[in-house]
Amino acid sequence: MKDRQFWIVLGSLFVVFLIYWYLGHPMFNANRVVMFISIVAISATLLYNIRMAERGEEFYLRPIPGLKAVEEAVGRSTEMGKPVLYVPGIMDMDQVETVAGVIVLGHVAKMTARYETSLNVPVSRSIVMKAAREICRESYMIEGRPDMFHDDMVHYLTDDQFAYAAGVNGIMVREKPAACLYMGKFYAESLILAETGNSIGAIQIAGTASQAQIPFFVTACDYTLIGEEFFAASAYLSQKPELIGGVRGQDMVKAGVITIIILATLFRFLYEKWGIGFDVVKLLTVQ
Amino acid sequence: MIWKRQIPILIVAVVGAITLFGWFIDQPDIKSFVDDDATQWYDILASFAIILGALNLIKLQFQKVAKKKKGWPYSLFAIGGFFFAITAGFFIKSLDNTVVWGAHVTTEGTLSKWIFDYMFTPLSATMFSLLAFFVASASYRAFRIRNFEATLLLAAGIIIMVGRVPIGSMISSWFIMYISVLALGIGVNSWKKNKMITFGVVGIGIVIVTIAGFLTGWPIDQPGIFYLPILQEWIYFYPNVAGARAIMIGIGLGIFATSIRYILGIEKSYIGE
Amino acid sequence: MNGLTELILKIGKVDRRWIFIVLAIVVFIPILVPIGMPIRATVTTKVVYDTIENLPPNSNVLVSIEYSPSTKPENHPMAISILRHLFKNDHKVFVTCLWPDGQFMAQDALKQVAKEEFGKIYGEDYVLLGFRPGGEAVIKGIVSNIRKLYTVDVNQTKIDEIPMMEGIYKFSDFAFLFTVSAGFPGTVEWVQYASDPTGVPMSSGVTSIQVNEVMPYVQAGQMKGLLAGMPGAAEYEALIGQKGSATSGMDAQSIAHLVIVLFIILGNAAFFIERQRSRKY
Repeated sequence: MKDRQFWIVLGSLFVVFLIYWYLGHPMFNANRVVMFISIVAISATLLYNIRMAERGEEFYLRPIPGLKAVEEAVGRSTEMGKPVLYVPGIMDMDQVETVAGVIVLGHVAKMTARYETSLNVPVSRSIVMKAAREICRESYMIEGRPDMFHDDMVHYLTDDQFAYAAGVNGIMVREKPAACLYMGKFYAESLILAETGNSIGAIQIAGTASQAQIPFFVTACDYTLIGEEFFAASAYLSQKPELIGGVRGQDMVKAGVITIIILATLFRFLYEKWGIGFDVVKLLTVQ
Repeated sequence: MIWKRQIPILIVAVVGAITLFGWFIDQPDIKSFVDDDATQWYDILASFAIILGALNLIKLQFQKVAKKKKGWPYSLFAIGGFFFAITAGFFIKSLDNTVVWGAHVTTEGTLSKWIFDYMFTPLSATMFSLLAFFVASASYRAFRIRNFEATLLLAAGIIIMVGRVPIGSMISSWFIMYISVLALGIGVNSWKKNKMITFGVVGIGIVIVTIAGFLTGWPIDQPGIFYLPILQEWIYFYPNVAGARAIMIGIGLGIFATSIRYILGIEKSYIGE
Repeated sequence: MNGLTELILKIGKVDRRWIFIVLAIVVFIPILVPIGMPIRATVTTKVVYDTIENLPPNSNVLVSIEYSPSTKPENHPMAISILRHLFKNDHKVFVTCLWPDGQFMAQDALKQVAKEEFGKIYGEDYVLLGFRPGGEAVIKGIVSNIRKLYTVDVNQTKIDEIPMMEGIYKFSDFAFLFTVSAGFPGTVEWVQYASDPTGVPMSSGVTSIQVNEVMPYVQAGQMKGLLAGMPGAAEYEALIGQKGSATSGMDAQSIAHLVIVLFIILGNAAFFIERQRSRKY
């Protein structure tokens, strides 16, 4: 309610859409209007909270042990004189998890630059290699250590899943990194990586939204960021207001989703039992 | 500077917005772009980008060999394998010239197929088979009864592991009931710390189960709640799906929020900011 | 008693390589000397079987193969059993692959089942359309216009020249979809972009690890049943009455699971004994 500009723009867009709708909504797929409204509502919630955070509003974020441990892990590597191994997943930049993994890599690279620890980032895709190099180069420059950065710190191994796992395992067993960070999208190779990391005595921190792999990381790693915690990692590590605002916005949307689930269950029960109301399933089904 | 910053942000914003909102537009060209072209553009870019990765790999391996770094003989295998695969894929079709280019990769009797059957397949299977051993050692290390949640995890894990395989259907539900009575006894003992009460509970439990068993004729799969295959199905269908759905919703929101940050230009990590 | 306690404590600290050796032995022995444990089909497997059994005669069925040699022990028996069931009921089978390795797997499966077992004719009873790069874009392409995506089959024969491709233009021209999947792109993408929007029924066979990811779709009715890992493949082999590699693998898997449970129990026993001792002192 505090952000006048936001409400004026939102209100104007709403009026424009209403006029467009009543003019017959040409070229608009009317079956998907519920999804369209949902997307606009979620985006508006996120934007509102981002704007509030940028204006100085303080938001509380619960502490996530895994993210606090990232700096400890880098510190441990520095003390032991061993490198930090960072694995940004095995998928390409078209997966949002890989993007999130590369963002976290940027923060980790800042830490390794600050503590003068060597960083090893084996990647599975060429585009990820380029993006990861750019972000590492930028991080080292921001920390005032461009001399410490070299292109080969981020290097390509192979596209194949198990060949990549074999390559990373080889790096772990030969170089014995003190910290292994797995942040991105993983499949079956997750346990192979985590167990090998465990066998060399490294501190392991994993973050993934791959549902099937979360249990393996929880079992084998010291800290695991589960699902949304992983996407919120960049907000935690950077403490940038716009990112923290985004996390709060996500939580508000989640509260809305929970409310809709409860109401929809109630409506469905009333409709199917006594014919009261309307078929909420039909309304919420995406065409 | 504009090429390194503003142009990439504009491209991401425009293409992202078209791909997102194009799903709602009933116009054939936009639908074709959203459904087919957008993802195919990416695949074309990624296919050419592989050259970058391959060159990087070969450069590092050659450097290792040239400078005789630790483990350099293994790099010879990497380089050899690389050129062998390229030769098989691009230069050798088949011994006779009957096979068509393209089909030669999967046709029986060609070098590509031989590499797949006798090198790639056994190596992939070997790496995957490591999981069997690692699951065993990870479970052994991680499944400890430290607190209530860990105990629940352990119990669910054992039920699923045993219930999912044929041996689970051979274990009578009455055996599980007896185990449950003993487990109840352990729980009562930790709570009350009184041997008389513990023995009483366990004794009564065993008597009840035994009488029930005699009366019903000891059917292997009844009562269903103690039959491992039915129990594991219930765990899969209800608690597991509930947890999976909750995580899916959270992950979906996280993906949406991250994507929107990219489209709106709030997140600029892809250009190194 | 002391000796037993010390033994349990020793097992609690055992080097993991001993666990590996024990596991290797217990997996190897049942493969050499099969036990022949009875296989009991679960509800999800029965639903897949009933769905295929109740397909109208001569249906056009799309089978999508998305697995690689690494998951062959789990997925390949599923593909073989499903193909056997489809060919036994004389359905027309169209095979696509979203993974490059899937094409090799599909060729092996079709060679074994279609050619050698059933003597089916390529182009009339079954066709292998092959692999196309693009992931979800391929699924979307199949949904909208399959002929734009596949101009030739795996043997480089033009699609228009293949007799059984007559009348097949898009996904909704198929009566049923079965996908054998080991990851991405796979089952979830087929549900999201093909089966659910068009209403064409689908089932899937997945690796055990993917089951909890895919189960919400099964429970919501968006998928007709599921073959869950090697146990699911073994159950399907039992339902069609033709045992295969999945059935022979179940003995080993059963014993292996029991051994893992035993190690967990011993590990916990050691953990409790140590905890008691540390409280005592």
